[in-house]
Amino acid sequence: MPSDSTTPPGSLGSKILRRGRRTVLGMDPQGLIKNFFGANSSIAIIVLVLIMVFLLREGAGFLSTYHHELEIYRKAGLEFCDIADTPLKQQQSMASALRRALSMELEPLVKNARERRDAAFLYKRALDEKSAEGAAVFENSLLFTPGEKNQIKSEIAALTPESIDLPPTLQKLAAEFTEKDREAKKTFRAIIEAEEIFEEATEPVAEILDELKTHATETKEAANEFHTLEVGRQQLLGAAASAHGAEKDEFLKEAELSRVDAPDYAARIETILEQRDDLSKALGEYAAAVEEAVKPLQSDGLSPEAAKLIASVQKALPTHLNHIQNAARNLKAWKWDEPVSFWRAVSSFAFGTGWITNSSWQDFYGVVPLLTGSLLISFVALLIATPISVTAAIYTNQFATDREKELIKPVIEFIQAIPSVVLGFIGIAVVGDLIKGVSQWEFLSWIPGFPIQERLNIFNAGCLLAFMAVPTMFSLSEDALNNVPRSYAEASDALGATKLQTVFRVIVPAAISGILSAILLGLGRVIGETMVVLLVAGNRIAIPDFGDGLGVIFQPAHTLTGIIAQELGEVSRGSSHWQALFMVGILLFVISLSVNWCARTIAKRFEHSKA
Amino acid sequence: MPESVPTAAKPAPVVQVRDMDFRYGDKTALHGISLEVESHRVTALIGPSGCGKSTLLRCINRMNDRVAGARVSKGEILVKGKNIHDADVDLTQLRRQVGMVFQKSNPFPKTIYENVAYGLRVHGVKDKTSLDEAVERSLTQAALWDELKDRLNAHALGLSGGQQQRLCIARAIATMPDVLLMDEPCSALDPIATLKIEELITQLARNYTVVIVTHNMQQAVRVSDFTAFLHLGKLVEFAPTEELFTNPREKLTDSYLRGTFS
Amino acid sequence: MNNPFAGDHSSIQRRETAARWLLRLGSYVVVLTTVAIFAFITVKGLPHAVKPGFLTELTSTLHVIESKDGKVFKTNPVEADVIKKRLGEGFQSEKTISYSGGGILGPIVGTALLVVVSVSVALFLGVCCAIYLSEYAKKGKFIEMVRLAILNLAGVPSVVFGLFGLGAFVLTAPVLTGTPADRAIFVIPLGFTNLSFQGWDTCVLSGGFTLAFVILPVIITASEQCLQAVPQGFRETSMALGATRWQTIWRSVLPFATPGILTSTILGIARAAGETAPIMFTAALAFKDKLPWQKDLPPLPADAGMFAHWEQSVQRFLGIFTESVQALPYHIYTLAAKIPQNEYSEQAQYGSVFVFLVLVASLAATSIWLRIHLRKKYKW
Repeated sequence: MPSDSTTPPGSLGSKILRRGRRTVLGMDPQGLIKNFFGANSSIAIIVLVLIMVFLLREGAGFLSTYHHELEIYRKAGLEFCDIADTPLKQQQSMASALRRALSMELEPLVKNARERRDAAFLYKRALDEKSAEGAAVFENSLLFTPGEKNQIKSEIAALTPESIDLPPTLQKLAAEFTEKDREAKKTFRAIIEAEEIFEEATEPVAEILDELKTHATETKEAANEFHTLEVGRQQLLGAAASAHGAEKDEFLKEAELSRVDAPDYAARIETILEQRDDLSKALGEYAAAVEEAVKPLQSDGLSPEAAKLIASVQKALPTHLNHIQNAARNLKAWKWDEPVSFWRAVSSFAFGTGWITNSSWQDFYGVVPLLTGSLLISFVALLIATPISVTAAIYTNQFATDREKELIKPVIEFIQAIPSVVLGFIGIAVVGDLIKGVSQWEFLSWIPGFPIQERLNIFNAGCLLAFMAVPTMFSLSEDALNNVPRSYAEASDALGATKLQTVFRVIVPAAISGILSAILLGLGRVIGETMVVLLVAGNRIAIPDFGDGLGVIFQPAHTLTGIIAQELGEVSRGSSHWQALFMVGILLFVISLSVNWCARTIAKRFEHSKA
Repeated sequence: MPESVPTAAKPAPVVQVRDMDFRYGDKTALHGISLEVESHRVTALIGPSGCGKSTLLRCINRMNDRVAGARVSKGEILVKGKNIHDADVDLTQLRRQVGMVFQKSNPFPKTIYENVAYGLRVHGVKDKTSLDEAVERSLTQAALWDELKDRLNAHALGLSGGQQQRLCIARAIATMPDVLLMDEPCSALDPIATLKIEELITQLARNYTVVIVTHNMQQAVRVSDFTAFLHLGKLVEFAPTEELFTNPREKLTDSYLRGTFS
Repeated sequence: MNNPFAGDHSSIQRRETAARWLLRLGSYVVVLTTVAIFAFITVKGLPHAVKPGFLTELTSTLHVIESKDGKVFKTNPVEADVIKKRLGEGFQSEKTISYSGGGILGPIVGTALLVVVSVSVALFLGVCCAIYLSEYAKKGKFIEMVRLAILNLAGVPSVVFGLFGLGAFVLTAPVLTGTPADRAIFVIPLGFTNLSFQGWDTCVLSGGFTLAFVILPVIITASEQCLQAVPQGFRETSMALGATRWQTIWRSVLPFATPGILTSTILGIARAAGETAPIMFTAALAFKDKLPWQKDLPPLPADAGMFAHWEQSVQRFLGIFTESVQALPYHIYTLAAKIPQNEYSEQAQYGSVFVFLVLVASLAATSIWLRIHLRKKYKW
């Protein structure tokens, strides 16, 4: 500083000037402070990178682990068994449809007789237990004529504690029911027989499969044991390589001790392959028997519901038979030593339709059921939240009085602070029963899926998530509306537009990108939410049945976030299951980044068009 | 043009302001204004900043209703002989017939066509041919048709500043108003664009009654037939433009015009 | 007199009114739902929350004992034995309901500890970051990246933060220890001790740090807004008087931004207290019968000196942060999802939910109210 020379040393001025020249570690303090804050500001970047690093560290091994597991799955013959087993699972749903059709037909015929019998027996028990309530139920029952009631009452009253025989009227009621039941079953003999054949036809196949499965499982266990020991041995050898002297010998000796031979897959698979022809034959016989049984079924004279079920079975039959045929063909072509491609592990995760864990048979980590659940729930939530929050934003921004604004804005902001676990609890405690109760109202039965079976379902979770998404979507939409230049409204007013016309023809279109971006950010919030879906979505790991049409939203589902929260606490570190859950985490992370990116891109377009 | 002020066959005044007081909350912005605007003439309102000229202009189509607490506290305004504060006056109808152009051009973020058609659409015109006709007529009257006829579907925000302002004028005249209010329409424009708009205003006077607020006295001389000079919320002088500028009756007007204003 | 401005009032007016009400409906649905939730939780939860001991006792298993003469005793495991003995022949049945007895002192303390750790960390990092963004940063690639990262961080699902916390803090974070664990990723010997990257285990510290990153974007954004709201003139005046940048920030900017920053911090506290997923794998326990500072330490020998006593209290204090704890949100999750539902578990559920909601809601309300108040007070 040139002025230094003109300032006498020790004066106030020189003190002020000197202060700026101190240095710490070769930097002046101002630069140091700046760098300190600068380094701090990169914290967000660092955290994002760290999240990626740690997710990858725990999850990256998944694909190779899973690939290894799938290899054993093939070599040990489990895949072979599944080829035959999978189509048979379809048989169960067909059989249950038949059973349902049957009970639907039988029910009206025997219902009255059964109810009369049951009511009388319940009355007797009520008397035995001295329950006034139970007795009153009988008194008010419309199933009996007053004469019958008196008859039953007097007979029961006449009973002594020692008597073993039932009162005659009760015996008669029981016999009446048996007779009705027999008659009804005779009428629907065809269905009953078909159902029986259906059940029995699988037995020979199942017998062979059971045997093969036991064998395959044994091979798999041996393979897993070998793998564990081998990993341990490699570690010991590694330790030996870096150790010296006696320690080294010790390690080598231990490694030698733990050496075991790999299971002889080729020899063990022989046992399974021997049965290949028998299995194919059994499958063929099964197909023939089933076809025989189902084809001649008639739906004449059945109630519409039952006829529909029968028709559905008949419709599903060709596909089923086709699958069986394919299975037989695949069994022939199957080779135990064909290498499993790495792509198989990837596709089995990304497109796999089953998330099956802790199974005694084989674990599969297919993400599709979880992804479907997450997307369905988010879709329902958006469908509910968008109209509500956008109209609320338009109203608050354009129409509300100041007093209303002072109420609405803080309340909506306040929702953001309600913890998600509390909303989840409300979903369990209140909303579930509410939805179920409403769905039982007669005049709403036209809604697909009503009356609903499960209290906890996609719709319930969607409602609560919609509530959670409202603050985000509301405040961002309101910002977007607020950013529309005042002059637009002025110009529109001056042209004689009404308030409504101004709002919907000028202001909302001008803010539309901002509103869309708000909706997308709401979606991001909804997809990533954990506690509500964990508590309320019903946690059934299966792809919801889209056959119901819109009713699909009343089924339970599981989600990407929910599965992590539910299962991570119970798996051991480093296992394939653990790694799979981290893979799900990576997927979630990627989804949230992309949603964010889309929202920003849309919002940016908005900025440009404004300038 | 100033020299063409007719003396005979004077048409009935289209806007009449009668002894009007106007207040923002408890602050009186205009005191006892009385003014008659003649049909098919250009009337300029001039005066120093904050004198109330814009407020007076915005009273005529009741744009001040948008401001909380603003109201006419005394007197009345008649447009086409009707008191515009009467209960049976429909605001949208009033504003359709009393159009307005603002200081800063404010086209909607829509296409050129949609901008011009907007006023008609909000008044329920759906028929494509009448919309097309109206757009062509308005753009022609605003001297924009030749420039823009090939890109009616282009975004209005892509036009130059002068074009945008003329587009706003086209938008305002599309509904065929009787009166066109202009609030310093050239203040944000460069001299060439200003010249074009001024030419346009004199053209428009053939079909419309124009009331223009300007802070530029030369502009008032160039475009207007009558001029009103306002000061501190009061109408100081209202006369044919030539008369007011060459031979002002009031001392205050004189000193304002000379620039020796204190 | 003819009216040139007559309008077709009735139909337009009706349409306008209808549309206005339709729009109004959206806002009112939200407001009413919120009110309904609060009212419902209050009605169901308040009676249980005000029971003696609910706020001051630790959680325990609830024992419900019925005697033959129809009396019902609700009690804790210890007294259950006493009552059974006293009833003798009159004993009819006993039900046990996990986690539903006693009070919720443990969860409250745990949540408080988690909040303290997370807010301290987030406030320090967040305010520093905001100061750089608002006071030092010039436009450029780096700042754009920082802002992008903040936006993206705000969008990361909380359960992913939980996974991150598990990987980073529970399993990897460095500790000073003489005896590194086998699972350590690597160990840096420091001579007298080792810096071992073996993780902090599930504890308050792990959970607090995880939560800190969850609320970090909120704190940064809010703090930056508060700093930006300080008029540029304050800085210019200060700089014109020859103050350095840092002096300007410290004396002319921060003092005016602090009330706003603290206000938004309260909202951060509410957020941190309400999150469940991030602490599930990093800090929370379903059940614990001790408070974090009630730790069994080996009794000191009678002749222990001052230093030993001092060392033990330090250990006791540090121990608070290296223990896993119960936390209110996780407690509610446990009660709602992990035990069979009946009338007795319901009481504990609604009581806890009510207390939790009141705590979080009053924090949020304070923050919102303060902000509105401050905005009115500080108008530059």
